[in-house]
Amino acid sequence: MSDFVRNEICEGVAFNSIVDTRFKISRISASLAAPLNKKTAAANALLSCVLTRSCKKFPDFTALSRELDALYGASLYPSVRRFGDFQVITISAAGLDDRYSLDGESVSSQLTELLCSILFEPNLKDGLFNEDDVEQERRQLIENIDAEFNDKRTYAINRCIETMCRNEPFSVGRFGSREDVTALTQESIFNSWKQLLDNSRVELAMLGSADPENAYQGFKKYFADKPRKTGGTTTVVKDIPEIKRITETEEISQSKLVMGFRAAYPENKTQLVANSLMSAILGGTPTSKLFTNVREKQSLCYYCASRVDNSKGIMLIDSGVEIKNIEKTEEAVMEQLRLLKNGCITDDELNSAKLAIKNAYISSLDSLGALQSFYINGILLDKAMSPLEAAAIVDDISKDQITELAKQIKLDTVFSLIGN
Amino acid sequence: MQTANCGIEMNFTEITNERFGEKYYKLHHKSGLDIIICPKKDFNSSYALIGTHFGSINSKFIHNGKKVTVPDGTAHYLEHKLFESEEGDAFTLYAKTGASANAYTSFDVTCYLFSCTDKFDESLEILFDLIQSPYFTPETVAKEQGIIGQEIKMYQDSPEWKVTMNLLQALYHNHPINIDIAGTVETIAEITPEILYECYNSYYNLNNMVLCIVGNVDPERVIEIADNKLKINEPVHTESIFPDEPYEVKQSYTEQKLPVAVPLFALGFKEKAPKSFAGTKELICTSIILKAFAGSGSSLYRRLLDEKLINSSFGTEYMEGCGYRTVIFEGESRDPEKAAEIIKEEVIKLHQSGVSEQDLEIARRSVYGEIAYSFDSPSAIASEVINAEFTGRKISEASSIIAEITLSDINERLKDQLDTGNCCLSVIKGID
Repeated sequence: MSDFVRNEICEGVAFNSIVDTRFKISRISASLAAPLNKKTAAANALLSCVLTRSCKKFPDFTALSRELDALYGASLYPSVRRFGDFQVITISAAGLDDRYSLDGESVSSQLTELLCSILFEPNLKDGLFNEDDVEQERRQLIENIDAEFNDKRTYAINRCIETMCRNEPFSVGRFGSREDVTALTQESIFNSWKQLLDNSRVELAMLGSADPENAYQGFKKYFADKPRKTGGTTTVVKDIPEIKRITETEEISQSKLVMGFRAAYPENKTQLVANSLMSAILGGTPTSKLFTNVREKQSLCYYCASRVDNSKGIMLIDSGVEIKNIEKTEEAVMEQLRLLKNGCITDDELNSAKLAIKNAYISSLDSLGALQSFYINGILLDKAMSPLEAAAIVDDISKDQITELAKQIKLDTVFSLIGN
Repeated sequence: MQTANCGIEMNFTEITNERFGEKYYKLHHKSGLDIIICPKKDFNSSYALIGTHFGSINSKFIHNGKKVTVPDGTAHYLEHKLFESEEGDAFTLYAKTGASANAYTSFDVTCYLFSCTDKFDESLEILFDLIQSPYFTPETVAKEQGIIGQEIKMYQDSPEWKVTMNLLQALYHNHPINIDIAGTVETIAEITPEILYECYNSYYNLNNMVLCIVGNVDPERVIEIADNKLKINEPVHTESIFPDEPYEVKQSYTEQKLPVAVPLFALGFKEKAPKSFAGTKELICTSIILKAFAGSGSSLYRRLLDEKLINSSFGTEYMEGCGYRTVIFEGESRDPEKAAEIIKEEVIKLHQSGVSEQDLEIARRSVYGEIAYSFDSPSAIASEVINAEFTGRKISEASSIIAEITLSDINERLKDQLDTGNCCLSVIKGID
């Protein structure tokens, strides 16, 4: 596996690559990061679906799908996520490594060409996107938004974040709202395409055995003369005047408890890693405080997990419990958090969390998808590092550093979804 | 694919997948355990998976001449409880090696796994101890009721899980595939330490188990650890009993109301199912048929999209095992009945026209790619290996078979599948 290589194409646009011959798949992707904003979120999300549905070269959805099938089941898909107060739109293509094609054709060069075509030469008519494509994708995106309610764990987490961050950009859903998607015009989608390509921060990535030069040149042709200023910060809240409590009722057998906390927003790589380590000690592993006490000792739940979001400086703890145990579970969680803040961390707890986190970092070297996420997330936080560097940082983190970060954790919102 | 003895003293059989450059080393260990190793020398991690051919459907069996029936959900309960031994729980031991450990129970297997980047030997020892030291007391068994009870309730609220489970209940009259893997809060209340020991002794014999390791490991070292840790198991005779199942579906429609914003559907076509497993060739033919017929490049997919009846959640699945075989079309839809009607209409047309030569070639390449991609994932390799061992299919034969599949193979296979007179629609609708 080669080292990670980063080439800046122009201000705000970079091409990242890793040559790695261990895999049978190659991946290529374009991540576009724009400030998260109610006005543009829906348009960006719908655009990502419309772009991957057809392009100038394959102006029909079925023709494009068949092309991908014939290209050894290559995949081409959009993903949309919230990352701090930014919305990140990623268009990814993945396909068979050239060495394994049945008749010796180069899959990777075709994939590169296809991704460039998807991004830069969409299926436009009179300067607007194909209307059928837009309407089909609009309907599906609305169903996607509606279906987030189907999975109650996801729904409860989304409602907690929405409530906790209600006056911040982070409260905007990754797809925007149903109403915003419904109201989008052809012009707004076209504008979103121009804006994203010409003004957002762009992180391109190619991983696999193919020579990345081809893809680099393809992207460079478009981006070389389009520098952009890519500022923008994420709102970090430290003071909580009052804990927000929201309870909703649904016809469900298991109630959901989601607790939203403000946590430290990492200022450097060490804090970033330490925040993750702290969450692992609290509720990230089967030997964590929450798992051993709330699940194993008190048998209150099947899952009770914490996860820290370093892009926003928040932490969420969620659990599925009996309605009568909601308060008891909240108390049990707060008790474990209190212990963590007071420095009650045994050497075993610290060491096993360190080993678990290091195992996760180093394992990511064996998956191109995991590697891509690891690097791109680090880059977007301006704290780029390799998984091995992150693993080395873990070794040097002390109990005091963990306690210091734990002390910054403050309960902000409690969302309960209860059965009736 | 070639098979040969690799010449080292351990008596490994070497299996090579030339096309993808993968090698497997297989050995029947003196303890009774089959061990298969797929070395990936340039990987940083190692993944170990050990499985027993015992899942939720094996609830009736004959062990040492005695007929046994256990409560629904016992296999899954046993999986949870095996993590505890007299000395403590396995998670605490894994915590010292840094391995990430887990386990799962399906309809027909129970598997225990870990993945690690350091201290592989110690983690493998923990895994061997875990499956060899059952320790069940009334107290430890009772403690799990609350935890598994919540796991069951979590699944009861999952529309994706319920739409499939309801379908299986409506398709099958007698086969235990119609029973939820985890059982119910009531059935797990009947589980006792004696029942768990009975199942353990019947199915956790090493002769009934397979270990697969993928990653940066030395096969000879694995055998040394096995030699030290594994007790020699005398084979036991345990026979699972499956009731006779009629060909016909039990019901053609089933519906449940849950709080969902978009309805879900699963349309299942029940097939003739002998009490044996489908072969690799049959499975590949089915994958090709489903890709050509219902993949995102198919005319069916396009028609359903154009009529606004599906979204990107739409997909197909083939569920097969001892005594059950069903093709399932599933997804979210504003109008599940209409979507099902169209799928059935198109199935009738497919039976008339067969799969075309061009569709076969495109689907062949796509399915070939999917097989290739699975080799990038140690967990996918390991579960494929364990599956192959339990079902009598050969490891890694899919990539060579797929190149040879002909149009007549496909259309012959199609005759036994997708009977529109023997299907059922399961729907989850929102609460009014």
